[in-house]
Amino acid sequence: MSADLSLRLSNYAAPTNEANIPVAETEDSGSRPKAPPRRDSQYVLSRIEYIFESQVDALLAENKPLSVTLQIRRAVKPSGTQEDGHSKVKAIAPRFRKFEFPGKSEQEAWRYSVILRVLEIIHEALTEDMIFTKREIFYRDPALFNQQLVVDRTVDDLAFTFGVPRQLLNVTATAKGLAAGAFTIHRQDKSSVKGWLDREGTLISPIGENDTVEMPDVEWILVIEKEATFHSLAVSPFWETIKSRGIILTAKGYPDLSTRAFLRFLSSHAPHVPILGLADFDPDGIEIFSVYKHGSMALPHENAALKVPSLHYLGIDSAILSEQGNARQEQGLLQLSLRDRRRAMAMLRRAPFVEGGKEPGLRRELQVMLMLGVKAEIQVLEARDGGLVRWLKEALKGACSQNG
Amino acid sequence: MSKQYLTIHTLDDVHPTDIFHLAPTPTGILSCSGASSIQFNATTTSDFPHVHTFPKEHIAGVHHMTASANGDTVVSKGFAGEVLIWKIPPGTEATDDWVLEGKLTTAGSGGFIWAVALSADGRYLAGTASDGHVSVWDLKEEGWPLVRSYFTKNSFGTSVAITGEGELVASGHLNGGVYIFDNQKGKLWHSCQGLMLVIRSVAFSPAAKLLAAAGDAGIIAVYDVKTGDQVMTFTGHKAWVMSLDFNATGEYLLSGAYDGRLKIWSIENRACVATHGETAKCLWCVRWLPKAVAKGQTRGEMFAVAGQAKSISFYREASGS
Repeated sequence: MSADLSLRLSNYAAPTNEANIPVAETEDSGSRPKAPPRRDSQYVLSRIEYIFESQVDALLAENKPLSVTLQIRRAVKPSGTQEDGHSKVKAIAPRFRKFEFPGKSEQEAWRYSVILRVLEIIHEALTEDMIFTKREIFYRDPALFNQQLVVDRTVDDLAFTFGVPRQLLNVTATAKGLAAGAFTIHRQDKSSVKGWLDREGTLISPIGENDTVEMPDVEWILVIEKEATFHSLAVSPFWETIKSRGIILTAKGYPDLSTRAFLRFLSSHAPHVPILGLADFDPDGIEIFSVYKHGSMALPHENAALKVPSLHYLGIDSAILSEQGNARQEQGLLQLSLRDRRRAMAMLRRAPFVEGGKEPGLRRELQVMLMLGVKAEIQVLEARDGGLVRWLKEALKGACSQNG
Repeated sequence: MSKQYLTIHTLDDVHPTDIFHLAPTPTGILSCSGASSIQFNATTTSDFPHVHTFPKEHIAGVHHMTASANGDTVVSKGFAGEVLIWKIPPGTEATDDWVLEGKLTTAGSGGFIWAVALSADGRYLAGTASDGHVSVWDLKEEGWPLVRSYFTKNSFGTSVAITGEGELVASGHLNGGVYIFDNQKGKLWHSCQGLMLVIRSVAFSPAAKLLAAAGDAGIIAVYDVKTGDQVMTFTGHKAWVMSLDFNATGEYLLSGAYDGRLKIWSIENRACVATHGETAKCLWCVRWLPKAVAKGQTRGEMFAVAGQAKSISFYREASGS
């Protein structure tokens, strides 16, 4: 943030502690007690926007410095012991710290900039419905943040200040994505990650500009919606195939940017290798697949660099309903919930599922789902002869021969 | 005793996707699909020519449609939730010039509407809702008011049928429930013994003496409308039964299943008299054509089936059988 350095210090105080001080009768509340605000992402957004607005106000008002006040966490120490033997936690008065720009020192100006930058990224995450890892936030501006610890601390301070768990800021602690299989990543710092070493999978951390991947034997890449499926494949005899000829990858649900970037990195490195998606037959499964392939509808500016248009939907889809020619015997089908129905109805109205859009096949799957009122999880395949692995082998064979 | 039916024509290019519903009129057949437009083909000539495309009003596709006996009023239900009313303006000579009259306001009918059925006289529209409500609107009145709303056991209403002048409404539900409502008294008439599994279609016989219901159990139950008792059971389908329709005389019941099989059942003999199915693709809808049409053109009665194959197939009873 480049601000006018001539702004002078003043006694401007940002709104601070609504989060932790019980809401008493505030100046405007009159006789009606105010309901405490619901601590949801909307609440966090409004807190952040309030801070931004205060900065603008301060910039517009000649004599106000830019400032932001955080509530700083303190280690809670047991102080003494109660009669019943339980340690007593002393109620600690919240400690506030105001950071001003340009402030009293270079250090303070930097802390102010860090906080504002993190707030800006969290704001983006919340408005665009994205989940960022702390690591991803660091990589947004490594020059500013200097080290990971700075981001970690700032994020946690902000969560504490707003009185919400960190998840409500759409920030997760670590990388979500897991990958395993016949690949080696060579990092710029000469370290390397070997995908075949660990059945548990390797956490997908952001790919650096000079990182390279080696995957000469890979015949397919399988993108899996759920972690449970990832693990059940990794511990099955199919692992032998995966570690010598394939790559499996999951973001444990909706993909974070790192996982999407990693898949995109693999696909651009080996464009001839078919990339296949395995998801539940339900609206979320189809939407998750679509985010990998076409990007998040909310983040069109990120999509160009992250989408993987060659991703192919392997399943599961409505075809599993009639595989045995007797729909009556289908086990493991679940009823579509009203939430699922509303979600599918909404998806049918927008890209890429609209008429004439990029996913006519998935448009049909959504319609069939609504017609039949059923959904199915990947696990439904486990109940069949040969289970998920046999189904997957057949499906991969079919998909790879089509591509080749 | 068995009967012979022949496929006399198949329309392959009416829709680009699954055809979900059919609604016959005296001069043709309306069809709807995963696409945004309803289509109309004439049934008065032997090649069933396409004669009319509705405007693209249903952005998410259309899953139910229903027409009055004279074909002048058509109601369509889209995947995005909308219920649209189409009419041929009075005084128009053409029988295929529907104009969008408007969108039905479904407030007060509980949840969102799924299945719809129009009485033969075109006056009453019945609809089932996601929360189990079954409602009736009067399309003759200004503003299409909600005139009846019945609450059932909170289970999604998958299917609905209404008698000729709207006297009775029947509904089928996700939990296997089958209900008959008396619109004159405005109350539940019978809660029928259901089939335990999802009901996917309900149909009244033309004189409203019988109600047929079927679904995931693969069994077709036929109820006496007066008593609510189950009087017949047809077994033979090996997959989910998706659609049912009585012929104009009430002698035969047509059924279509998820595995692409269709069957014709004789009510008098309580038996299946014909089975067809060339593909294993789901039949979303089966419908008899009005007898008058069949008489004018051919000797045998005709019906149409449509579904996952994206085509409409017309069958006619083979002469001499």
